Amino acid sequence: MIFRVAWRSIWRNRRRTLITTASIALGLVIAIFFIAMAEGVYEQIVNDGVRMQAGHITLENPDYQAAPAIDLRIGDVENIRKHIKKNEAVGETKLLIWGQGVANSGAGAVGVSIMGVEPAVEIKNSPLARDIVSGAYLADDDDRKAVLGEHLAKELKLEPGSKIVITTNNARGELVAELCRVKGIFRTGSDEIDGYFIQIPLNFARRVFGLRADEATQLGVILKRPGDQQMLMKEIKPMVSGKNIAVLPWQQILPEVASYIRIDRVSNWVFQGLLFVIILFTILNTLLMSVMEREREFAVLLALGTPVRKLKGQLFLESVFIGCLGCFVGLTLGGAAAFALQIWGLDLAFLMPEGVTISGFAISTTVHALVTLPVFLWTGGIVLGAMLLLSLLIMRRISKVRLAETLR
Amino acid sequence: MVKIVEVKSVTKDFGEDGIVTRALRGVDLDLMAGEFTSMAGPSGSGKTTLLNIIGGLDRPTSGTVSIEGKEINQLSEGELSRLRRDRIGFIFQSYNLIPVLTAFENAEYVLMIQNMEKEERRERVLRVLKEVGLEGLEHRFPRELSGGQQRVAIARAIAPEPALILADEPTANVDSETASSLMDLLRRLNEEKGMTFLFSTHDHAVMKRAGRLIRLQDGRIIEDNLQTGYR
Repeated sequence: MIFRVAWRSIWRNRRRTLITTASIALGLVIAIFFIAMAEGVYEQIVNDGVRMQAGHITLENPDYQAAPAIDLRIGDVENIRKHIKKNEAVGETKLLIWGQGVANSGAGAVGVSIMGVEPAVEIKNSPLARDIVSGAYLADDDDRKAVLGEHLAKELKLEPGSKIVITTNNARGELVAELCRVKGIFRTGSDEIDGYFIQIPLNFARRVFGLRADEATQLGVILKRPGDQQMLMKEIKPMVSGKNIAVLPWQQILPEVASYIRIDRVSNWVFQGLLFVIILFTILNTLLMSVMEREREFAVLLALGTPVRKLKGQLFLESVFIGCLGCFVGLTLGGAAAFALQIWGLDLAFLMPEGVTISGFAISTTVHALVTLPVFLWTGGIVLGAMLLLSLLIMRRISKVRLAETLR
Repeated sequence: MVKIVEVKSVTKDFGEDGIVTRALRGVDLDLMAGEFTSMAGPSGSGKTTLLNIIGGLDRPTSGTVSIEGKEINQLSEGELSRLRRDRIGFIFQSYNLIPVLTAFENAEYVLMIQNMEKEERRERVLRVLKEVGLEGLEHRFPRELSGGQQRVAIARAIAPEPALILADEPTANVDSETASSLMDLLRRLNEEKGMTFLFSTHDHAVMKRAGRLIRLQDGRIIEDNLQTGYR
């Protein structure tokens, strides 16, 4: 009976119930949509970052992070790689040789970051390999070939087929200069990458930097599911024990990206929280109105002998019904909108014609959401929890009803 | 005869900001089981206040009220609530039905909070609705029963078979013909079921129907007579 009274009571003032439900639903739609969109952008940044650089998990010399130098390399990489690849959580592994140098052409010289890569692995994984705007990307059998950023090419007046000399210090500290040809030019949208970045085939890089066949500066591990990172790190550490190799998460390799995501995520939640507080006040107002209007009815029920706790239970149920209804509508619509954004994406190029760079990574202007169950559970749970807390406040009014006065 | 209500030296003061209005000034009253008592008096004489205090809806400033020998001043809110639920039926001037419940559900409500078995509840409600003349209208909502709302209120009051039924101006909002038939109904319930009734009224025709007439004025009982030949 209490269920029946509660359910029918919320529909007595249909408009008010619909407004309250719509407020909750709207809040949830906004929260889910924007949180999922932000999570999608974070995932894109991380995904692009780790695939272009050293994976979700990076194996490198323990001192490399503090002072990246070519002599801080790791050995036995093929053997380690073979063992890591056996794990089902691993999607791909990649070897990198990363050093600094100077690129010279007839037009001038520019300090550059030189990355030796395995072209086949990069083509499969790195967004940079897909950003070629002129010429072609590297191939595994290429030698003395390089791809470089559009700004760098412009500054050095280079085009596919042009000659370029890379000057650097090798692992033994000797000055070396190697001639190669530009095979392709990429445009990522990031000034940093497009202006100072050169990729060359791994074997050529080994020659340039004087590394042996099973040496590299980094071994990157790309995961099938990023959530497996901690688990896999635990499994990898014993494999490299005693080899002077550190096993690091991408958050330590790309700390700016990790910080950006952390800060942006917090500010996004704060924004959603503020919006939510405003909506809660609307809900509090309508619930309070609903109770005050019905004080006489409550007095009648109490006069008939209804226990106070039962009447409070009825009010609580009314809030549960409205809260659940609002959550259902909000989660459904918000989820549908976020799923649509996840599948089709939204191209915001008209808002950002110059493109977007976050922590040095160029991000596509087409944003895709990332809908995850925790987002639903958290947002729905917070809204419903807050509704129920509000109803506890409202319920206190029941104890204050003065029967004789109210029924007069 | 069993004493159902015993009111002793009851006073009731209302007031705020230091201005006190004395609504009842030392009322003494006994009601015996099966009595059909009318309480009359001008507005402000204390009829509703006395009904509220006897019904446990309000507490007296001084004096005591006992229902079936139980002094209700001493009861906690929970005990008072149970007493109202089990032993007292209320009929209000403005019906005070629960608008979202049907006639059946309104009458069933108190039985439900008494935790009566579903089947027994159903039988009881159908019987009382028949007794008050609402057979076939069980599933109508109060708004759909413009002439029968007070009958639903009566059904709700008598369904738990209380010892005492308190009615505050039960015929005030109905025409004289309906008032007469409602009084017939209350009288019949009193005679057939032996329920004790105490009701307030302004209506002389209704007063005449009572077996006992109490007159209040300025918070005091000024007349308390058994009426012979009432009908």
